[in-house]
Amino acid sequence: MKNEKTAVLLFREDPRDGPHPEKMAELRGLAESAGYKVLAEISQRRGRDRRFQLGRGKVAEAVSLEPEKLIFNNPLSPGQMFNITKEFEILAIDRFSLILEIFASRATTREAKLQVELAHLSYEAPFVRTIESLKKLSERPGYMGSGSYDVSMYRDIKGRMAKIRAELKAVEETGERRRERRRELGFDLVSLAGYTNAGKSTLFNRLTEETVTAKDQPFTTLSPTTRAVAAKERRFLLTDTVGFIDDLPLFLIKAFRSTLAEIVEADLVLLVVDLSDPPEVLREKLASCHQTLWDCGCYAPIVSVLNKVDRVDPEVALERCELIQDLAPNPAFISAREGHGLGGLVDLIAEKLPPLEEFAVRLPSSEAGMGQLSRLTRSQSRSR
Amino acid sequence: MVAVDISGRHAVGGRYIMVSASVAARISPGGIERTRRMRLVPLVAESVDMEVVIELIEDSVRGLPGVVLAEKGDLYNLERWRVESILGREFKYPESLGERRAIELAHHASFAGRKLVLRLMEEGLGEGAWKMTA
Repeated sequence: MKNEKTAVLLFREDPRDGPHPEKMAELRGLAESAGYKVLAEISQRRGRDRRFQLGRGKVAEAVSLEPEKLIFNNPLSPGQMFNITKEFEILAIDRFSLILEIFASRATTREAKLQVELAHLSYEAPFVRTIESLKKLSERPGYMGSGSYDVSMYRDIKGRMAKIRAELKAVEETGERRRERRRELGFDLVSLAGYTNAGKSTLFNRLTEETVTAKDQPFTTLSPTTRAVAAKERRFLLTDTVGFIDDLPLFLIKAFRSTLAEIVEADLVLLVVDLSDPPEVLREKLASCHQTLWDCGCYAPIVSVLNKVDRVDPEVALERCELIQDLAPNPAFISAREGHGLGGLVDLIAEKLPPLEEFAVRLPSSEAGMGQLSRLTRSQSRSR
Repeated sequence: MVAVDISGRHAVGGRYIMVSASVAARISPGGIERTRRMRLVPLVAESVDMEVVIELIEDSVRGLPGVVLAEKGDLYNLERWRVESILGREFKYPESLGERRAIELAHHASFAGRKLVLRLMEEGLGEGAWKMTA
């Protein structure tokens, strides 16, 4: 029985831009991560085709390989998706849709499932509206029909989105209270951020001696995990979060707001970068991370962590570091897999954390004063 | 670096009342380290084509040292090397958080500057003081 999913990857390269083989490689990685067997990669350098995104001939060439789906790297408009499905009788999805497919297959917690559903609905709402109106161009809906009107379907989606947003708002508020409580207990909050598959979960496991799933594939982590780490005389809570990707659409960032709040509200962000990437890709990924942090509204100080140093020569590592100096000055060089440079990283975290505040408390030598002293001692011992 | 932002790239009564703000600052990847100088240049123009925009940016950054930084949209998404050759200065689009914050600062300054220009115009003050271009 054949149950393997197959796909052909299509990529339209902008004639004004240089070639981007890494983008096709990234799309392949995503497709394989979603469980597709890639039959072929087809790219074309041309302006955007209004009907099919790529030229009709290229799409026909992809369809001739009989894949289950066509996966476009470029975003497809609702009209283009409708035209491809109608003309070639094949399912066509774009990169965002593929990312959502991966998210849907990895979401395990209630929060992650809601976030993925919200992202799906935000993405699909305009498609539903356009495709339904295109299908009903020649029809005149009447009150005697048994089906519903296209507007009602769109409204249903909008209603569901509002419900999910309300639920996620509650999750966000719980998260906010939890972070506040953790700060009261004397913990600093440190978050791991970075491009997908940069090694954030591996680093998290190394620093916390945990065993969260860490694989060599994009988007292994969706829901945040937090554990305590001791650094010199400080203790901080380290949170592993979802990875970033280039051209992350705003609706996806909005849908994952409660997860990304762990980064936005942190006292320090560790921006993990895969140093084994080719120099141009490395710079592009780093810039893309900065863009996403900007879109999230992150104001926390950033420590750049160049991971996977074991995969490159020391001279090459220094050369690459020079190339990204303006985006990642004074970075920490580590290998999360081999455990190199972790001591230095922990020292750097302790150094960059906001300084501790000192308070002098005067208590009266009375029963009430002793009660206050007892409460202070209790809260201090709880936080140890 | 010199972050530039232009406010007022939309027609009001058939003309464009623009203010360009330039912020010369020392920028780190995470934020603005120190703001050195700020300059606001108003311009009333009949169009908002590339020539006008470049002229306004040139006026605005004159004498301020450093790489010029502006949003892609402000320069019609032109490639960096083309902007550099037209402007005759080192130029780049924002990449880091710090560079984006500098442009945000310039945006606030240009927006506030334009509001002031509009108010002065409404009150009939400073007529003739605004540089006009075809």
